[in-house]
Amino acid sequence: MDRERLIRYLSLLVIGVAAVLPFVLEANLYLLNVLILMLIFIIFSSSWNLLAYSGQGSLGHAAFFGIGGYASTLIAVQSGLSPYVTIFLGGAIAAGIGVLIGLTCVRLKEWFLAMVTFGFAIIVQAITVSFLASLTGGWDGIASPRLVSSQVPGYILIEYYSILAITAGVILLIYLIFKSKIGMAFLAIRENEIEARVSGVDPVRYKLLAFAISAGLAGVAGALEIHYFGYITPEIYGIDISFWPIIYTILGGLGTIAGPVVGTVVLTILWDGLKVFGLTYERYIIIGAILILSVIFLPKGLVSLPDKIAGWWKRRQKKSPDAGT
Amino acid sequence: MRYAVLFIACVIGAILFAGCTQQTPSQTTQPEEIKIGVIVSMTGPASNVGKNMWQSAVVAADEINADGGVFIKEYNKKIPIRLIQGDDESTQQGGQKAVTKLITDDKVDILVGGYSSAVTSTYEQIVADHKVPFIVTGASSPIITHRTDIDTSYIFHHCPTTDSYGQYTTWFIDQVIRPAINAKFGFPDDRNLRVAIIYQDSPFGKGGLSAMNNTITNDKLKMEIVGQQSYKMGESDFRTVLTSIKATNPDVVYAVVFPNEMAQMLPQARRDVQMDTIFLVPENNDAPEYYKGIGNYGEYSIIESRFSPYTAPKGPIADAAMAFKNKFKDKWGAFPDMMGASTYEGIYIAAKVSENAGTLNKDAIRQALGTLSMPQMVEAMSDGTISFSKDFRESRFDLYMEQLIWDPTVNECRPVIVWPDALKDTSFVLPDWYKPGSA
Amino acid sequence: MGELEIFLQILFWGLYAGCIYILLATGLNLIFGVMKIVNFAHGEFLMVGAYVTATVFALTGLNPYVIILFSMVVLVAIGAAVERFCFRPILGTGKLNEIFLSLGLIYLFQNLAALIWTDKWQSIQSPYASISIPIGPLNVPLDYIIIIVVTAIILAGLHLFLKRSRTGRAMRATSQNRKGAMLVGIDVERMDVFSFSIGCALAAAAGTLWVVSGQVFNPYMGSIPAVKAFAIIILGGLGSIPGAIIGGLIYGVAENGAAFLLGGMWKDAVSFIILIVVLVVRPTGLFGESGE
Repeated sequence: MDRERLIRYLSLLVIGVAAVLPFVLEANLYLLNVLILMLIFIIFSSSWNLLAYSGQGSLGHAAFFGIGGYASTLIAVQSGLSPYVTIFLGGAIAAGIGVLIGLTCVRLKEWFLAMVTFGFAIIVQAITVSFLASLTGGWDGIASPRLVSSQVPGYILIEYYSILAITAGVILLIYLIFKSKIGMAFLAIRENEIEARVSGVDPVRYKLLAFAISAGLAGVAGALEIHYFGYITPEIYGIDISFWPIIYTILGGLGTIAGPVVGTVVLTILWDGLKVFGLTYERYIIIGAILILSVIFLPKGLVSLPDKIAGWWKRRQKKSPDAGT
Repeated sequence: MRYAVLFIACVIGAILFAGCTQQTPSQTTQPEEIKIGVIVSMTGPASNVGKNMWQSAVVAADEINADGGVFIKEYNKKIPIRLIQGDDESTQQGGQKAVTKLITDDKVDILVGGYSSAVTSTYEQIVADHKVPFIVTGASSPIITHRTDIDTSYIFHHCPTTDSYGQYTTWFIDQVIRPAINAKFGFPDDRNLRVAIIYQDSPFGKGGLSAMNNTITNDKLKMEIVGQQSYKMGESDFRTVLTSIKATNPDVVYAVVFPNEMAQMLPQARRDVQMDTIFLVPENNDAPEYYKGIGNYGEYSIIESRFSPYTAPKGPIADAAMAFKNKFKDKWGAFPDMMGASTYEGIYIAAKVSENAGTLNKDAIRQALGTLSMPQMVEAMSDGTISFSKDFRESRFDLYMEQLIWDPTVNECRPVIVWPDALKDTSFVLPDWYKPGSA
Repeated sequence: MGELEIFLQILFWGLYAGCIYILLATGLNLIFGVMKIVNFAHGEFLMVGAYVTATVFALTGLNPYVIILFSMVVLVAIGAAVERFCFRPILGTGKLNEIFLSLGLIYLFQNLAALIWTDKWQSIQSPYASISIPIGPLNVPLDYIIIIVVTAIILAGLHLFLKRSRTGRAMRATSQNRKGAMLVGIDVERMDVFSFSIGCALAAAAGTLWVVSGQVFNPYMGSIPAVKAFAIIILGGLGSIPGAIIGGLIYGVAENGAAFLLGGMWKDAVSFIILIVVLVVRPTGLFGESGE
């Protein structure tokens, strides 16, 4: 119970810090830009984490990220609706397609599932630049309306707070899901599908539900990024985009709410911090080494670091009297 | 619930606070230097082009600073140039971060660089919003300055666009190759020349394709496109695509491709698929690795060019280009490439417009860019001057055509300029093994 | 050019393209069989193999087909180190951790290679580049024939090793039943090192053949072939070496067929369409056993 309360206060503190950060940074555009991209990737990583929580590790989450971006852009351009509305419509369309993709995946496990999701990202990209080229502009891409027009004074701050609010909302939603019956069902399926079925959980239904929610949230993240960039191209389906949520989530801690947040924040700071020193390839080498070391020594992610330190401290204290005698 | 309310209160409070504190512009002290932000891909898949662009920019800045810098009338003295690197990491997210950093942290006066149209078009918005003059020297898609959803009036394009690639190549085929084939094989003058196109499925490749199509239609040329095939960027096996192209019996093949792709495609075409035809490629292929990669299979093929490692149009351009190549080689131990050449010129353009404007005020610099007219440097320009068009702010390059001839002393092909007449060293040759297409 | 001739040609390009996939996929499958892991960074070993070949070629001017042995030996050493220091500590901590580790390795290897060899793309010319042999309606470059033969020899050698040698039999036993193998006194950790190193050596051989066939290489070249090899073993069935070979051939031919019929941009997508269709029908791949 105590721990629960600690976490609540801690997350409130994090949001508080995020809310006042722009003033500490004097609304520095570069840092705000880094923060906004970081928030978008927190949503994206959290959505991937939710799917992984139900035992389905996707290797092609960029498909949903991109579908959300394209759907939201096209709706906004064609109908003139505000991006504040269309990002959720884009998310809904991504969720719908997520269910369709999920249908082909329900029987698949682990690597098989990973490869099929990976393939879908490539197929969706091929469709975007071929059959849908007249709508999507093919490889040229199309302009996308900004979340807040740059004519509005302080638009970048409004965008930042909007995205911060959506991020907090998404994390709260995932928190509620994890604590609800649905979350229990996801966990049961992940641990043992047959036992879950015996105890009355329909794995197919819940797997599809996980796909829908995860794809929807990834779609919202993609739409946010695109409306922030003001331009969308098929590069959004890139393999690297699919890999980022995996890197962020596992570095932070798979299957935990804080994992994707911690992972994204830490890696963003490292990534852009190392850039200050003018490193080029060396930066990637350092990050690569950190990833390797982290998974070897902290297989449960950075969120397990406090426990690990506490455990180490306890062992040390136990040992030290022995050493004295 | 209490949690959510608290949070919302927090955000509303912060937004109100944000509204009250409008940023005031920073005080204007006398600058000690002209800050030029160079946006290039130093890491990621495009890094080999990006590094060359950066290194060329450094050579230009060193030259200008060795001369004491640039005279700015407002301060009544010469001030040096400082280059600040922005690494876009070959990604859209990386480009955003790099550009915002250059604009807001480093407060650059002018931006130069930009490679890959996909990356450039995502950060263009920020450049437009902050009204920083931007001289694009690497992205080839005309969309960069033609798009209308943002204000592109601060963005100037100093490298040939895909529109010019296709146009010049089509003219060359019509004026030189078509008559040569008709003469050699006794075809009637009104015979339509059969062109097949292989293009990279990207703004770059598609741009070349549509430019050729448009030129044929607009100029009513006696050419027809008999086949077209695309492939995904980074492909290494073109044999099947080539087999389909061969089946359409073309007279010539226009390949809108990257050099790393063409270095594989050409041997596959000539050796594996046995296409005895003339291949034409756009100017971005004119790089030392390309000559090494194609070996003798490149013989008699055509490269469109604006800056070549091994030749230059005779006259002052040749001397300037040679001087630049030597300086680059002394400093970096390698050859500059064409993206490097336009970036080198881009730094000189930035220096020239700062001098013309007499101030570092961004709007004045933009106006100076609009009215710029400076003599060509290492690349041939239309009318021998670098200036930007009034409508889309593009500089106009005089592209020339090189034919590759086997040079046994270096065991590689070497280029000779065969078109246009004003620049050419020698005439185009139709090789003995050449076979024309047929319907 | 007749339809039949075009068909034969495309089939042959597919066969040749399949060779590099098959070497990569067989290596991945061998590793999966013994260790039950899939290394996403397998393509980086292909890349290192390519650079080792090119470097030795530039230094010594040896026949590039001889260098294949050298690059395989180098990669055996690198593979053993990666297995010992990276994969062994995380064995059994979950599939997603393996992907994560592979991503770290990809960053590490690509950028180390860029530091050592720069990131300019390169290519070399085989000494036989200009020799072609007419076979029926086809005119086949000698290099491609050698590549197909070398691939066949390597696969036959691997087959003999697994069937006849003591170590090979122990490896097969480990891949069939790890606990059982431990009980009968097989040092399974040694088998892990062996399988990983052999897998890397096969990738190195693929790297040499890549370079010799005149294909260009740069530090980022490994990712796409690795993903395809991965898709192939999923298609063929995890752990099944015949599955890897047949999967590789299907991919080589299907990709080239799609490029011919649908256009080049469908080349990658079509292989995944095949994969998805096969997995919907048979969730464990063509030759996979049901369950793990």
